[in-house]
Amino acid sequence: MVKTNDGLKKPSNFFQKAKLVIKKNWGGWAIMLPTLILFAYFVWAPLIENVSYSFYEIHRFKKTDFIWFENYKELFADPAFFSALKNTFLYAFWSILIGFLLPLILGLLLSEVIHFRGAFRCILYLPSIISGVSVMLMWVYILDGSRGSMLNAILSLFGKEPITVLANSNFVIPAIVLVMTWRGAGATVLIYLSALQTVDNALYEVARLDNANLFQRIWYVTIPSIKPTVKLLFILQIISVFQVFYEPMMLTAGGPDNASISLMYLCYKYSFIDKNPGVGSACGVILAIIIVSLSLVYFKLSKKEEA
Amino acid sequence: MKLRQKNEGLVVGVEYKHTRFKILYAVIIFLLAVACLSAIIPIGWLFFAGFKEADEIFATPFKFFPDAFNLSKIAEVWKTVGFGKYFINTFVVMAGSVLSAVVLNGLLAYAVSVVKPIGHKLVYNLILASYMIPAVASLVPLYANIVSLGLKGYGIYLPLCLLYGANAYYFMMFKNYFDTIPRSLMEAARLDGANSLRVFFSVVLPLSKPIVGVISIFAMTASWADFLLPYLLLQDDKLATVMVKIYNLKSTMSQMSNFGIDKYLMALTISILPQILMFVIFQKQITGTNATSGVKG
Repeated sequence: MVKTNDGLKKPSNFFQKAKLVIKKNWGGWAIMLPTLILFAYFVWAPLIENVSYSFYEIHRFKKTDFIWFENYKELFADPAFFSALKNTFLYAFWSILIGFLLPLILGLLLSEVIHFRGAFRCILYLPSIISGVSVMLMWVYILDGSRGSMLNAILSLFGKEPITVLANSNFVIPAIVLVMTWRGAGATVLIYLSALQTVDNALYEVARLDNANLFQRIWYVTIPSIKPTVKLLFILQIISVFQVFYEPMMLTAGGPDNASISLMYLCYKYSFIDKNPGVGSACGVILAIIIVSLSLVYFKLSKKEEA
Repeated sequence: MKLRQKNEGLVVGVEYKHTRFKILYAVIIFLLAVACLSAIIPIGWLFFAGFKEADEIFATPFKFFPDAFNLSKIAEVWKTVGFGKYFINTFVVMAGSVLSAVVLNGLLAYAVSVVKPIGHKLVYNLILASYMIPAVASLVPLYANIVSLGLKGYGIYLPLCLLYGANAYYFMMFKNYFDTIPRSLMEAARLDGANSLRVFFSVVLPLSKPIVGVISIFAMTASWADFLLPYLLLQDDKLATVMVKIYNLKSTMSQMSNFGIDKYLMALTISILPQILMFVIFQKQITGTNATSGVKG
């Protein structure tokens, strides 16, 4: 060990420079190391490995032979893949139709109210904090008609015939989206609420002085003021709907006849039910590409908002 | 507060002199009440259905409330399912998850925000980039890697907890908070001869109680609700968490004698009670931060 007065002398060669850099930084690196190892192990490595898995024959979760695009070919030859792709877009469509405006309207109503606001906020948020698994299993008994359901028991009050929502390929996606909206709307309401509270009050005053009616105030003041939030939440909603997984898994197992299967559930089904993880990984890669492209749009928008 | 004193928002106090605005306000309250009712009726139905008899649940005509409240049924279901074991398992995983979520993400965020060794920008960008990609898309290699560790028994909880130490969302929240802490306090500690690690535990963490609280609550509720990876890894029933058990119970209950839908619904209620309890206790922190600091994926 050579003891030098690093700090005072100007480093003359590469090694001394390197030593200086290490001396200055090793403490920081040591602090980062444990977490970085975890990120590498749990996040980064699996992402890269997933791409490589998709080009291999996988046996008992171990790579055996490099098979080029065979997994992808198998995936694209499976009609379930196109059902899943189509359904994922259907999920997005219904979720925008049912779930996009509702939180915005509720947020707007909530921001106007001065009585019971805290109670309304809490109750609306309640469904969001209960775990997905229990909630979904609960909804099975509310919606599913196979052994009787709360829905049918209520319908019978009005003398209506029992219906089987989750077993009907036309109703199953809207029904699942309804459950998703029930679960997620509260959290979104809170985000809109906090955005609405930042709207400049002076703008409202000007609008009032101009005798603007309520709809004009909403249209010309409120909406433009919270537009960035609306845009971001719109994209975030699409991104999260593209990853819909627990709902089809718990409510329908993708059925009836793949009518509610989603890309994410298809990945899972290939990997862990059909024991064909190679094709599951290929499906994961496709899904990741779709979501990354959507996320890039999101980041572009949020950058614009910051600027 | 009186309506007349409201001086912010779309409609202000003076306008509430007019009847049409009073009616409007009543309509708003009514609509919100309807929304709240739709939010809690399914949960309420679940709660009451657990107390009904199996054939009473879907009986016609529909009844919301049970004929009788048999409170001993809770204890009976608790014992039949053996919830005690699964609750303890879940609490162990929860404690580990909270600890690793706070310490590990906190340390990395501290290094990137305060210590700033060479390469901290690269680390920040790598984490930001991985934030966009859904974790489940890489489920197969993640699962394979964890299985290949060959952990036996309760050891399998270790990766489940450590997973919370690599969370991009928690990291970002920590970093944003640490960015706002005045540097002078940390510099003072450094001048006193404390190293970076000491500064983190004795200066930064005590100054960061609000964010530590928020991350703890998030990690707590998330690990209680965590399902997919625990379900895949905890095949052994004695290791199962509450969520894994409640899912498995659905397929095994048909083989259990005297365990009908009513008892299953009661078990579901038991599984969500801790979350409702956590929400009641921490609702300020939960609703407050979620609203101001962005959206979860």
